[in-house]
Formats: sequence, structure tokens, C-alpha cells
Amino acid sequence: MLNNLNILLPEIFLTLSIFSVLMIGVFIKESFNLIFNLSSAIILFTIAIILNSSNETEKIFLDSFTRDSFSNFFKILILIASLFVLNTSKVFIIDNKIGKFEYPIIILLSILGMFFMVSSNDIILFYLGLELQSLSLYILASIDRDNLRSSESGIKYFVLSALSSGLLLYGCSLLYGFTGSTNFDLIADQLIQDNTGAVFAMVFVLVGLAFKVSAVPFHMWTPDVYEGAPTSITSYFAVVPKVAGLAVLIKFMFIPFSNILSEWQLIIIFISIASMILGAVAAIIQKNIKRLLAYSSIGHVGYALAGVATGVISGYESSIIYISIYVVMNIGAFSCLYLLKKDGEYRENIADLSGLSKKQPLLAISFLIILFSLAGIPPLAGFFAKFYVFTAVIEQKMYALAIIGLLTTVISAFYYLRIIKIIYFDDSAISFDPVKNSVAKLSVLISCAILITFFLFPAILNNVVDALFIN
Amino acid sequence: MLVHSIFFYFFSVIAIFSSLMVITSRNTVNSVFFLILDFISVGCLFIMVGAEFLGMIILIVYVGAVAVLFLFVVMMLNVAEQKQSWFIGKKSTHIPTGLIVSVLILLELLVVVGGWKYKDSIMSSSTLELSNISNTHQLGLVMYTDYILYFQMAGVILLLSMIGAILLTFRQRKGVKKQSYFNQISRNPSSSIELQEVETNKGVKIDD
Repeated sequence: MLNNLNILLPEIFLTLSIFSVLMIGVFIKESFNLIFNLSSAIILFTIAIILNSSNETEKIFLDSFTRDSFSNFFKILILIASLFVLNTSKVFIIDNKIGKFEYPIIILLSILGMFFMVSSNDIILFYLGLELQSLSLYILASIDRDNLRSSESGIKYFVLSALSSGLLLYGCSLLYGFTGSTNFDLIADQLIQDNTGAVFAMVFVLVGLAFKVSAVPFHMWTPDVYEGAPTSITSYFAVVPKVAGLAVLIKFMFIPFSNILSEWQLIIIFISIASMILGAVAAIIQKNIKRLLAYSSIGHVGYALAGVATGVISGYESSIIYISIYVVMNIGAFSCLYLLKKDGEYRENIADLSGLSKKQPLLAISFLIILFSLAGIPPLAGFFAKFYVFTAVIEQKMYALAIIGLLTTVISAFYYLRIIKIIYFDDSAISFDPVKNSVAKLSVLISCAILITFFLFPAILNNVVDALFIN
Repeated sequence: MLVHSIFFYFFSVIAIFSSLMVITSRNTVNSVFFLILDFISVGCLFIMVGAEFLGMIILIVYVGAVAVLFLFVVMMLNVAEQKQSWFIGKKSTHIPTGLIVSVLILLELLVVVGGWKYKDSIMSSSTLELSNISNTHQLGLVMYTDYILYFQMAGVILLLSMIGAILLTFRQRKGVKKQSYFNQISRNPSSSIELQEVETNKGVKIDD
């Protein structure tokens, strides 16, 4: 077994380096900067380790842990997203005095949890990874503990998420009871339509997973948590756990639930349609950008789930492409928020953006590109993301889903365009102070560049994603 | 076999008696003590049926940690002498709700027992191989080999919860003067006594 242990190399490296930086943080005073830079270095090293490991499917520990191209892809996506989220928010963290050395360490621990989630081939390992990730997120949500709203969002997230974990665990125990195994492959063999108990269990597992990716009707926590948590945490919430959650969802659909497609397809279609509609309609009245992005992320999860709902590999691929582009767009959007500072305070109201184009034309044009992309306007990457998903949906002759999805795209374009109208055509209200956050500026630049040039090289992402499902 | 039955009934009677006392006792601290007694007798029952690991875990976790924690909470909250307003005094709304819940639980229990009693396929499907190795030994054999990953991950989760608890609650109080033995002992008159000329009507500023 020991010579197979290199399958686990990224996880082992990550764990040991977390322990080491934790010790450094405990014994060196005022070590936020040091720990922060070390954590970024650890993330880079882990990316290098994963890039160097082979993409062949290998399983270890009674087939409970898989390393394959699927898990490697998602691990790298998670790491790159976390790297950007962490480094763009550094100035914000220091400005808001939440720069405790535990901050990057908890982020690393949540990444470790997500690693096990996307690599799990067993219910127990999946659940442990999920708990590691969720527990880190509860702490992160309430990290600004003297701020009432941050603590409130932490408590709210903890209570609701613990409830959903309970439901998920109940589903897992039923799944074990009715199929006699905790291993995904063995469950897949046993899970057929006649096995009513196991189908019942599948519903509970789906509820838990839908909560983690904040899909309607399990989205109630999202706007409040996004608004209450510090922006640096919100950007992490909006990007990274969504990727891991969707990866696990696809994995569940692809392996253990593959034989009961007709049973779960309707549920996913319902969740997808509901998320798309709520994400489009509820965001219209929002005045806070973070709340707006929360509803927009609910909507985007709906589109990604539409790809999953097809139940075929091309559908899963389209939703993986969707979530990858979503990551780029959201990193860009949140990096813009880090540049809106006035009198030492970061502004989050949409009204504050009015007339931004006159004072800061570059920031305004980046906002324009990102918002157009979020709305799905060609030739930006957001359009292609939606295009792939709806192509896959229409290929499966699910016309109702496609029509509702397209209609909600039009509705949601309204509130993205409203922000652009405020930025470009309203009289300027306040002029923002210059912010010395070159990483955030760089990441806005990078994400805009990717969003604009995606249509020139769509094959790069397509080829990578196409290779994920070849075993 | 007779001795076995005697012990079984002995522990069972104690368990039932103490669990009744937990809910009827007027003094909350006494309730917690009966709860501990209940846990212990249940632990003994587990040991009697050969699940010695489970029995010991009940002793360590429930008696050693949970019940003692309860005891602390009860003592700190000062609810020791709670008035039993459930049965005495003005009409309470707890009893109907409680009755509904207990009837539901009774029905569930009946379903569970019925399903177990009248479905012989469950009993015959058990294919557990009994061996001479004790439960604890068997657990140890797999815990650190096949299931080492789960075991270590549970450890990481506990570490994270510890970091989180410290991060969210630990406050460094400012302005607290702490005793420093080394500085105290290494003082000498030349470093600590200062002679000053006191000017009339002006005084000296002592300590700031």
C-alpha cells in the first residue's frame, strides 16, 4: 500500500504544510503577512504537484479515494480560484483588520476538504471532506467576530448548513442500508429503480448537495451570508465551494446514481428551473452589489444544473465548462469590488457606482465587460458557457428547460444592464479613492482578457473537459 | 446462564429505574446523577452482550465527558431547584404536546419491533463470521490500516474545530498587569529606587 501512497501526494503535502504554517503562526507574533505568502506558495506548489501527477484512474484505501483526470481538473480549478481570491483580497483583509494568521490556514483547510470531496469514491470519505469544508466556511463567515452582521451570517450559515448536513447524512445512511455498501461503484450496481428505499435515499442526498451549491429551494441562506460576511470571504464563498459542490454533484450523478437517471432527472430539472427563475427575478430589486451577486450566483448554478439535468456526458461537460467560466467572471466581479473604496470604507451599494465611467473609465469598462459576460452577451465567454449548456439541453430534446432558461437569461440581462446604465449614464455621486491593490487590478485585467478572447480559443477548455470522462 | 440472567435483569432494572428518575426527580443535579447511572448500566449491558468496545466508549464519552459537562452546565446555570410546574399548579400546554410526541415514538417503536420480529429474512441474512479476536482488537486492525484515511481526516476536522473555537472566542485583554517572577527577583535597589528632590507646592509625579 505504501508505494501507492503517492496517489495521495497532493493531499499529504497540503496537510503537512498546513500543520507547519500553523506552528509558525502560533510561535511567531504578528505573522499574518508571512503566513499569507507561505499559503500562496503552498497553493502554487500543490498545483505543480497535481500537474506532475498522472491522469490515469487509480484508487486506494479500499477504492474509497480516486485520482483521475476529473478530480485533478477540479483540484487545479479550486486551487487557482483560491489563489486569485486570496491574493486579490489581501489589501481588503488588512484594511478591515481581519488579518489574523488563521485566515489563510482555514482557507487551506477548506481546500483540503474540497480535495477529498472531489476525489471521494465512498460516502464516508465524501462526508468527511464535506464536513471539513463546511466547518471551515462557518468559521470564515463569522471571522469578523466583532461585526454583528458577520457573526449573524456565520450563525445563520452554521444552523442551516448543519441541518442540510443532517439530511445528507440521513440519505447516506439510508443509501448504505439499502445497497449494503458505502462505495460509489458498488452502490451504482445495487441502485436500480426497483430499489425504492435507495431511490428515497437519493432524494435526501440531492437535497444536501443542492443546499451546498445554494440551488433553489435551498438557497435561503445565500443572500444573507453573502451580504453579512466580509467581501473577501464572500468572494471565496461565491467561487470555490460552488466548484467543489458541482463537481461532487456531477460525480454522484455519474457514478452511484447513473442507473436511476429517470428518478433524479425531474428533481434536477425542477431545481434548475427554480434557481434560474429566482436568480433572475429576485436580483432585480437588490440595492447591494453583494446581495445582487448572491442572487446572480443562484441563477448561474441553475444554468450549470441544466447541463447536469441532461444526464449525458456532453451535458456534464457543458456544465463543467459553465462553472469554469463562472469562476473567471466572479473573480473579476469581486476584484472590482476591492477597488471601490471611499474614506477608508469599501462601498457595496449599487447607487454608489453612478457615474463611475467619468472618474475611472478603466474600471468602468472592466465592469462593463464582466457584467455583459455574466448576462451572456456574445462574443464574451459568458455567452459560450450558456451556449454549450443549452446546446446539450436541446440535443436531449428538453425544450421546456431550454426555453425557460433562455427567457430567464433575458430577464437577468435587465439587472446587469441596469448597473451598466448606472455606471455610464447616471450623474456621478461620489468619486472613489485610488486603491493600492495591484493584484486586484491585475486579476480584473486577466479575467477581462480571458472573457474577451475566449471565443478565439474555445478548444483549449473544451479539449481539457472532453478528456475528463474518458476512463 | 443463570448468573447471566441475574446480571442482565439487575442492570436492566437499574437502567429503567434511573431513566425514570431522570425525568421525575425534582432536583436537576440529581437528574444528571441518575443520567450518569443510566449510562453506566447501559454500558454494562453492552459489555454483557460482548460489545466491550461500545460499553467502554459509553463509559468514557457519555459518563466521562458529556454527563460531567451537563453537570457543570446545570450547576452554573443555577437551575438546581426547578419547580415542577408540569404536573402541579396551573394548566400546562406541555402535556398534550408531549403526549402526541410520545404516542408517535411508541408507534415508531412498534413498527421497528414489528418489522424485526416478523421478518425472518433479516435475521437469516446475517453472515457475520465470528472469530476469537476481541472487538477492540478487530477495530484496531482496520482502523489504522484500511481506514487510516478516515481516521486522520476526523483528526483534521477536530483540529479545525479547535482552531475555529480559539479564533472566534479568544480575546486578548489589554491593560492587564501580569506578574513576572523573573523581573521581580532580579530587581535590585539601584534599578528600582529613585531619589528625587521634592519641590515645594509642586510635588512629584508618581507612576503613570
